[in-house]
Amino acid sequence: MFETVLLFREALYGALVIGVTCAVLSTYVVLRRIVFVGAALAQLSSAGVALALWLSGVSAFQAAGRHPAAISLLVTLLGALFFGLGGGRRLISSEASIGVTYAVAAAAGILFIAKAVHGEAHDIFLQGNILGITRKDTVVLLAVGAPVLALHAVFFKEFLFVSFDRETARTLGYRVAAWDLLLYFTLGVVITGAMQFAGVLLVFNFLVLPAVTGLLLSNTMRGTVAGAVASAVLAVGVGFFLSVPFDLPSAPAIIAVQGFLVLLAWIARRNRE
Amino acid sequence: MRPELVRFDGVALGYGRQVVLRDLSFAIPEGDFLGLVGPNGSGKTTILRALLGSHAPLAGTVTVTPGLRFGYVPQRDQVDYDYPLSALDVVLMGRYDRIGLGRRPGREDRDRALKALEQVGIADLAGRRLRNLSGGQRQRTLMARALAGEPNLLVLDEPTNGMDLVSTTQILGLVRDLHERSGITVLMVSHALNEVANYVERIALVNGTEQAFRIGAVEEIISEPVLSGMYGIPVEVSAFQGHRVVMARRPRRV
Repeated sequence: MFETVLLFREALYGALVIGVTCAVLSTYVVLRRIVFVGAALAQLSSAGVALALWLSGVSAFQAAGRHPAAISLLVTLLGALFFGLGGGRRLISSEASIGVTYAVAAAAGILFIAKAVHGEAHDIFLQGNILGITRKDTVVLLAVGAPVLALHAVFFKEFLFVSFDRETARTLGYRVAAWDLLLYFTLGVVITGAMQFAGVLLVFNFLVLPAVTGLLLSNTMRGTVAGAVASAVLAVGVGFFLSVPFDLPSAPAIIAVQGFLVLLAWIARRNRE
Repeated sequence: MRPELVRFDGVALGYGRQVVLRDLSFAIPEGDFLGLVGPNGSGKTTILRALLGSHAPLAGTVTVTPGLRFGYVPQRDQVDYDYPLSALDVVLMGRYDRIGLGRRPGREDRDRALKALEQVGIADLAGRRLRNLSGGQRQRTLMARALAGEPNLLVLDEPTNGMDLVSTTQILGLVRDLHERSGITVLMVSHALNEVANYVERIALVNGTEQAFRIGAVEEIISEPVLSGMYGIPVEVSAFQGHRVVMARRPRRV
């Protein structure tokens, strides 16, 4: 069984990079109550991939269509900019604008794929193919994730302060809107990177469940982040060990393990309190 | 004459084209203990934001003494208590702008934060998670955070909102103690006239719907003609065991 898993070790490393990077950001996603912004950005990212695939069949835009990751990043960052600037909340509620974005992005992704050349063959981009991650992909994921994690490590207290109490941060001279945008941009970059391999469902899982586990296990911010990262690593590892030998789809297996970890953390918390 | 920390000169405030308050002219001198009072929706928060620099006036100028440090205590419900933070973590935030970007709090910051917790009487709760504190303890934590930044002007936004009588009395007493002990300048924003009138030295009454603003010593403002004019209803002022009590006069039954 172990040998079978080892055959997919490159995919395992890649999934671990995605899990760890998303888990760190998930702490802010959950605490700021923007979990569905994460889902909408993931959906926008997948719509960006679909757009690129469709463009590759349009003679005037063929060159652009050859760079699905770049177009996906552009679309996701535009979404991050929109939500970072308030998501049009002066006119409609944040929840409504997130819902509109999610629905329209999902529909657009399906429509672009329907009209893309060899669209069916590319469905994998939207659903993700975590077992297809190669060493080169892992290096790319690391190149995207490591600077984001470094940025969040250096400016931990700034991101925390503007998330926790933006009004007071503003009175102390913090440019709250700029920090918000930076947070949303890092989220957009990480989601785009992860979406190339993991698919909407798994990315959404990594943006929510690890932080929930961490929050249930710890009473400190650092402990929460550590708990989130540890639970993501555990979920990826156990998910691989369950899915590969038993021929189960990997992403749902990882999510199931992550969900089980949330349950364990919840029981532990209840017993402690 | 005491130096002025903040001055409003002919200030008009509002949103878009709608003017909420116009021709505001007043100053907050060093050592002042001022209550900014008015009914809900009267424009208190707008004045507060203009003071703190987060709301630009439509006309006029707000002048803040160079180097002035605000110690801002937000309304309690503005803070999210689900964050896994201890009281000390929150108080340390008051030092963040002094610490600088990308740097971690040092021993001096920690000592200053602990001292601030001591000043508000909850040093023993430094390690307690914010979510597990009572309403009064949370308010004290937010006050300690403001004090940790070593401010010149302490600004409290509705510090007793939603509190019971005991907590309200304790918090207002604490604010007055801080002012008397350290001489710190205090601006307290509240809709509760009766509470503020018995603690502050000066009152600024604001009523945006009537475009009215009046500032002066407590004895001058807490009078029946001034309050009746400001609120637009007959108001009665009486004294009970040294406390001022303001009531709306009940219409007589015929």
